[in-house]
Amino acid sequence: MKRILIVDDSFYMRTMLKNMLTDAGYEVVGEAPNGQTALELAKETTPDLITLDVILPDNTGLDVLKGIKKDQPEMKVIIVSAVGQEVIVNEALEYGALSYIVKPFSEEKVLEVVNKALQD
Amino acid sequence: MKSREQEYKEIFIAEALEYYDSLNRHISELEKQPQDDRILAEIFRLLHNLKANAKAIGYLQISDISHKLETAFSLIRNKELNFSDEVVTVLFDGIDMLGDLITNVDNPVPVEPDPVLLRNLDIIVDSLSDSAIELAKIQKYSSSKNLSLSDLIYIQIKKLDHMLNLVGELIIDRDRIISLSRELNNDDLKVVSSHLYRITEELQYSVMDARLVNIGTLFNKFPRIVRDIASAEQKDIYLKIIGQDIQIDRNILQIITDSLLHLVRNAITHGIELPKEREKANKPRAGSLVLSARNERDNVIIKLEDDGRGIDLKQVRKTAVRNKLVAPDIAEDLPDSEVLSFLFEPGFSTAKEVTEFSGRGVGLDVVKNAIDSIGGRLHIDSISGEGTTFAMQLPTSIAVKGALLFEVDSIFYAIPLIHTEQVIALDKDELHEVGDVMVADLKGETVTVVYLNELLNADEATINLGDKTRLQGQIQNIVVVSYNNRKLGLIVDKLYRQQDIVVKPLNKPLDKIDLYGGVTLLGTGKVCLVLDVPAITRYFIHRR
Repeated sequence: MKRILIVDDSFYMRTMLKNMLTDAGYEVVGEAPNGQTALELAKETTPDLITLDVILPDNTGLDVLKGIKKDQPEMKVIIVSAVGQEVIVNEALEYGALSYIVKPFSEEKVLEVVNKALQD
Repeated sequence: MKSREQEYKEIFIAEALEYYDSLNRHISELEKQPQDDRILAEIFRLLHNLKANAKAIGYLQISDISHKLETAFSLIRNKELNFSDEVVTVLFDGIDMLGDLITNVDNPVPVEPDPVLLRNLDIIVDSLSDSAIELAKIQKYSSSKNLSLSDLIYIQIKKLDHMLNLVGELIIDRDRIISLSRELNNDDLKVVSSHLYRITEELQYSVMDARLVNIGTLFNKFPRIVRDIASAEQKDIYLKIIGQDIQIDRNILQIITDSLLHLVRNAITHGIELPKEREKANKPRAGSLVLSARNERDNVIIKLEDDGRGIDLKQVRKTAVRNKLVAPDIAEDLPDSEVLSFLFEPGFSTAKEVTEFSGRGVGLDVVKNAIDSIGGRLHIDSISGEGTTFAMQLPTSIAVKGALLFEVDSIFYAIPLIHTEQVIALDKDELHEVGDVMVADLKGETVTVVYLNELLNADEATINLGDKTRLQGQIQNIVVVSYNNRKLGLIVDKLYRQQDIVVKPLNKPLDKIDLYGGVTLLGTGKVCLVLDVPAITRYFIHRR
């Protein structure tokens, strides 16, 4: 079973993502509500994939992405953003994020992006 | 039962109200320190989340106003809009409006955002700091506004336990009152007591409902646990989880947590083979472990199935003989289901080695006892070479049990329905004396039958459970109970009815008598002893 870490500061968003992913047969190995926890859990759980919200209370998503990539350059990261954050998303893709999902997302869209990222 | 939509909505509202409170706090701080970027970033983040969440769940007015406020604050952050008094007022009004919309999402009469406020927000957002356009004065919400608190609360399980105990006491008194109203034949009292019946029943179910949690809260811990044990054991395991949405009493879930963990460890270390062995046996390299939950009538069935090597019944028979649980000649003829039951005997283990995760002295008997303690049943099924299945049958709630009431020697007794298999009437001639017990043939199965009057009332010195002549009458009413794959027939004098009972523990010194699991009070005020089926069955297994 592929293992996924969810990084999002909203409990609501984490719950939705977790339900969508576990229903699809993925294992959610952790949930991080902030950047600090995200970095710790990325090391501790070594997931197959991380979904990363771009706005977090302590760090920007970009800083977290850089931190993860420094330790685990091969880590697959998918950016979760909202409309209007295209600049950040583009920057994240440059820093090695694999793909992105735009809020509000549908279950189909999330699974399409996640399935594709984990296939390769 | 809560649907996922309902759960999402509750989470949304609880989180949105937290955001609303934080927004109020931060905007007040910002008023004092208008240039503090950290506060601005935090406000921006809160509004951003509120917008995204509201859009996802479909509360478009909330997402729309959050979006406008978010834009306004990003203008302030970029110094394109002054944090002037006029602007501050509009922003405060906007946040108040959000609070109103959030607290009223469930209101059948929807709250509409004030059009003047919306226009003011548009002016701020669109025309930047162009002060030529007058911001209209709007009516204050705050004049009529009440303080609002979150609709979700956390509660200590201890408080819910206390409530449940009180409900139990109340039900006993209620049944007494109903019975009195019949005895006194007073119509007024009958009306009041039937109303009391409905209210207490509803109260009981509400309290029971408040204690229910999703079984997923436990199941979702297993993917990680399974991965860790599997990697330590160098095994490949595919875990499938089914039925996370099934609900169960929180304390029952707590009590079975260690048991389930134990069974999962056992399945991985002893059940599922190493990848190489599996390939030799023409099985997929990865072992399969299925953890599932489902409702069955009033019970919850939790199953753990593995496709490992199964349990070696020959080895179990041997160990049972070595541990003097059964004579060698009898062991050969025991049906497989009874052989498997030996696994639940204290200290019974066929494991040859102790590993980090399994076989550390905690045996299946501990699992069995935990499940017995909440009135559940544990069933085991295994096919050599194909795998093992453990099934736990658990009550959804611990408060009230369905029970069968009967009479022996003019005293009332009850047996929890979870242990009863069937009720039959047999002619005395169909009972046979074998050694010091009686047996009957039930559909080809030989079942030990116990005359309860003798067991419960005879002196230790004169007790004879194999003496048919002590039976009264020709036709015998027999309640067939089962525990740990073993059936036992109990002869009773008179059968009454099924009834929900509240079981109270026995007080000292009666708690030493292990034939009784507790006591309950009937509506008539009579005391009724609740038989402990596991204890009685064990007693007869050891006699045999």
